[in-house]
Amino acid sequence: MGRLGGRRGQRHVAALFLLPASLLYLLYVLAPIPLSFYYSLFRWDGLTTARFIGAGNWAELARDAIFWKSLGNNLKLVALSVLIQLPLGLGLALLTTQRGRTRKWAQGALFVPMMLSSVAIGILWKYVYDPNFGLLNGLLEVVGLPGLRRAWLGEPATALYAVIATVSWQYTPLYMLLFSAGLLGIPSELYEAAAIDGATGLQSFLHVTLPMLRATAATALTLAVVGSLKYFDLIYVMTEGGPLYSTEVMATYMYRKAFHEFRMGYGSTVAVAMFLAAAAAAAAILTSGIRPGRKEGR
Amino acid sequence: MRRGSLAAILVLGIAVALAASSVSLAGTRLVLWHIQTTDPTLSIIDASVARFRAAHPGVEVEVVPLQNDPYKVRLAVAMGAGDPPDVFISWGGGPLEEYVKAGKVADLTPFLLKDDYIDRFPPAAMGPVTFGGRYYGVPVENVSPAFIWYNRNFWNRYGVSPPSTWDDFLAVADKFKGAGVIPVSLANRTKWPGSMWYMYLVDRIAGEQVFRRAVERTGSFADPPFVRAGEEIQRLVDLGIFPPGFNGIDWDTGGSRMLLYSGRAAMELMGSWQYQIVYGENPEFFEDLDYFPFPTYPGGVGDPTNLIGTPGDNYYSIAASSPNKELAFELIQYLIDDVAVSRRIAAGKIPPVAGVENQLTDPVLRRLYMDFARANHMQLWYDQYLPPELGEVHKNTLQAVFGKTMTPQQAAQEMEAAARNYYGR
Repeated sequence: MGRLGGRRGQRHVAALFLLPASLLYLLYVLAPIPLSFYYSLFRWDGLTTARFIGAGNWAELARDAIFWKSLGNNLKLVALSVLIQLPLGLGLALLTTQRGRTRKWAQGALFVPMMLSSVAIGILWKYVYDPNFGLLNGLLEVVGLPGLRRAWLGEPATALYAVIATVSWQYTPLYMLLFSAGLLGIPSELYEAAAIDGATGLQSFLHVTLPMLRATAATALTLAVVGSLKYFDLIYVMTEGGPLYSTEVMATYMYRKAFHEFRMGYGSTVAVAMFLAAAAAAAAILTSGIRPGRKEGR
Repeated sequence: MRRGSLAAILVLGIAVALAASSVSLAGTRLVLWHIQTTDPTLSIIDASVARFRAAHPGVEVEVVPLQNDPYKVRLAVAMGAGDPPDVFISWGGGPLEEYVKAGKVADLTPFLLKDDYIDRFPPAAMGPVTFGGRYYGVPVENVSPAFIWYNRNFWNRYGVSPPSTWDDFLAVADKFKGAGVIPVSLANRTKWPGSMWYMYLVDRIAGEQVFRRAVERTGSFADPPFVRAGEEIQRLVDLGIFPPGFNGIDWDTGGSRMLLYSGRAAMELMGSWQYQIVYGENPEFFEDLDYFPFPTYPGGVGDPTNLIGTPGDNYYSIAASSPNKELAFELIQYLIDDVAVSRRIAAGKIPPVAGVENQLTDPVLRRLYMDFARANHMQLWYDQYLPPELGEVHKNTLQAVFGKTMTPQQAAQEMEAAARNYYGR
């Protein structure tokens, strides 16, 4: 920054180098947002001429019980992701950043799910949940609980939670990594000072570790909430939103409307609704108290 | 000096013109998209294209094999963007009709009528690509009616023989159930496998006209036969005929077939592709693999020879925007010429071509072909025949009927409401 920012001419050169990437970003990331809103005003199959219907799609969306159900599923996914993945990630980070020989390989092993593709994970867990041959039902039988055997992905009552469990398995390592980085960044003098003041392990965790992790936690929370609101891939692979819409989320619903039913206009409406929900959630987190204040910003 | 440069410019101009014209002669390019990504079909198509190339030196053919599901999206995007391939596959029915209505597909009627080429295909095979009396596709790949598949050896062990009436069927199912075997394997996660039971029941109860009338809006999707079929399905569910969790079992990863292979289930209603799949997956089980047609229904008026399925699976169409339609049609003809037909038969397929029974040496395949040739009517899967929007409603309401979260009455009414909304009447 220092060298390039030093002179005006060099700044222009920097701008020039940034131009191609900026153009691509503008074309493929920024422009589609207002465009989607524009398309949401049309009845359009993606092939023939679009017909302007004003707020028609939005009125339909407001009445669309399946959309609201999918939004509800998204909110459940948000809540459970935050309640499962973040604490679990933090716990694993605490364990694996302790000094010790096993630390490195434990971290590596725990990180594996993050490195698998969502499609592979989806297929793997479909086998785990298989009602007739699956590992989970087999395990329940072995431990003497055959009454709990279920068609995990086949019953509306359990399908969403089965998928959320898999999503948690996939993403907890990400938060473990984030929190590990945060933990390693805390200066050890703080713990030494706390120890001198006679703090117990729990006290130093509550009064040193947690406050120092605030910035990391805010990042993790934003990632988890926004990610859960636009979640798609694993659900599509495992259930396609079924059975009976029990795992339908906004993204799978949008995909179904736009590409299965040839309703690009309505699909765009769902997409914009999704964008608004994610943007509102992100804004709420970033302006709330959890945002790191200037004083503790590092 | 000036004259010299003028001459040079002239020469250059002529050279450029010549080069351009030779480009337009030799640079004819055809793009073909298909979804046969595994052998033997992939190499059968490649060989057909090679024969076409040999007969048309200078014509460049780009063949693009794509995976089934991504293909649909990619085609929709290409069509919307006005950049479709010259030749592309579809399954006929509603989705193709969407493209036809949008003016994106070439009318192949003149090509097909020329030299009576159309007589090569049984009339039933052309159904899914005929709109308003015009033809928009050529059937190439496979005749795929749905039948009930079972293993002779396995059934013999239980002393059971294939039923021909609905009551027989229920008795057979009861017998298997008593022996601790799931009577019918079903993987209904993607909803179309369950739909097969419904379509056959509607047909056997009331014949092929009831669906046609509902689509043409002279009848209704809430008519009694549709409700009755739904009730019959819920009766099967209540009897415990299907495996536990069938709405979550995945057909693509073999969930339903594993139940057959492991002896936990006795039969499965499935398209005739089951025959090739089992051949590849489980040769031992394949030894005794057989099928029986869907049973007749008591008091039902449907013709028992009627079939549900795809009469010509993978139809090839030409984009309206293609500048080389005649050549593109010739390319399609190479895909289903006599050489290609015998190679497909050798690969265990039934090409949608008339009069090939003598070439079919496999007794099961020959019987299958004869059942097809004899059929009074062959109904394309509802979800492919209907416009995509309605096809989705059909599959979703039906899965709910299977899952018992919706009564057959409600499902029929919701389907009818969606149809009224779509067609505007």
